[in-house]
Amino acid sequence: MSSEIPTVEQLDDIAEQVWAAFLDDGNPAVIGFAAGDERGDLAASVSVAGAWEGTLVVSCTDDASREVASALFAMPVSEVTPADIGDALGELANVLGGNVKSMLPSPSTLSLPEVFTTDDDSQVVEVCRTVVTWRERTFTVALLKSPRAVAQEEVAS
Amino acid sequence: MVIDDSRAMRRILRTVLQEVGYEVVEAGNGQEALDLLGTEEAETRVPELALIDWNMPIMTGLEFVVNARKQQRLRNMSLIMVTTESEHGQIVRALASGAHEYVIKPFTRDALHDKLALLGLLPAGVNS
Repeated sequence: MSSEIPTVEQLDDIAEQVWAAFLDDGNPAVIGFAAGDERGDLAASVSVAGAWEGTLVVSCTDDASREVASALFAMPVSEVTPADIGDALGELANVLGGNVKSMLPSPSTLSLPEVFTTDDDSQVVEVCRTVVTWRERTFTVALLKSPRAVAQEEVAS
Repeated sequence: MVIDDSRAMRRILRTVLQEVGYEVVEAGNGQEALDLLGTEEAETRVPELALIDWNMPIMTGLEFVVNARKQQRLRNMSLIMVTTESEHGQIVRALASGAHEYVIKPFTRDALHDKLALLGLLPAGVNS
């Protein structure tokens, strides 16, 4: 049974593998990591439920989301539709989340991706985050723990 | 056949398969794939290979594998799970249900070629 909570370095590794495999044609080290508390206009998330409960969220600006969709669908940015953006960001969250889930306590399940516009008032506890820079765009990848799981831990301790 | 609820992932997988000479049919979930395989055309032309995501709405990849394995006429179709589900137990479950091979996302083109080669599905002249 896995019982490790991913570190920032492990999240960096996962992000690098995902970007290299799907967004940069297998070329390694094409992304960078930045400090900061970036918040985008748009986010995609997948939820983990079971032995560990929380959410993996990828957020970025509208421009960055268009760039990702353009790369994944191999089409010009000008031709990208909102549906393309939703699908592309959702799959990015799905692959990142699936790889993070494999490091978390098991058994657990992964939800299908959801795409939404970001807000600042969600009550969650951040476990770790990384800020990915790719083609001069910024993407925040954050692992969040659900408030319910935090409350249950406090009761148990 | 490529079975994945993500259009972006279907495009990636389709591209890899087309590069090595396959014609590709796409489905957005397991049920859609079974429906396509039940058409008159598919009756006479079963795909050699299916690349299957695990987590999909309506019918998961695992459910598709179980259903496909029950159909005699699909017995020669090679089934490769292509998924983020990387825990040992999940891999064993998929293989025990009838999947032939397992590829974990994110994957490289070479990794997918290697799996195709293992199953004898990489056309001659393509380097794995």
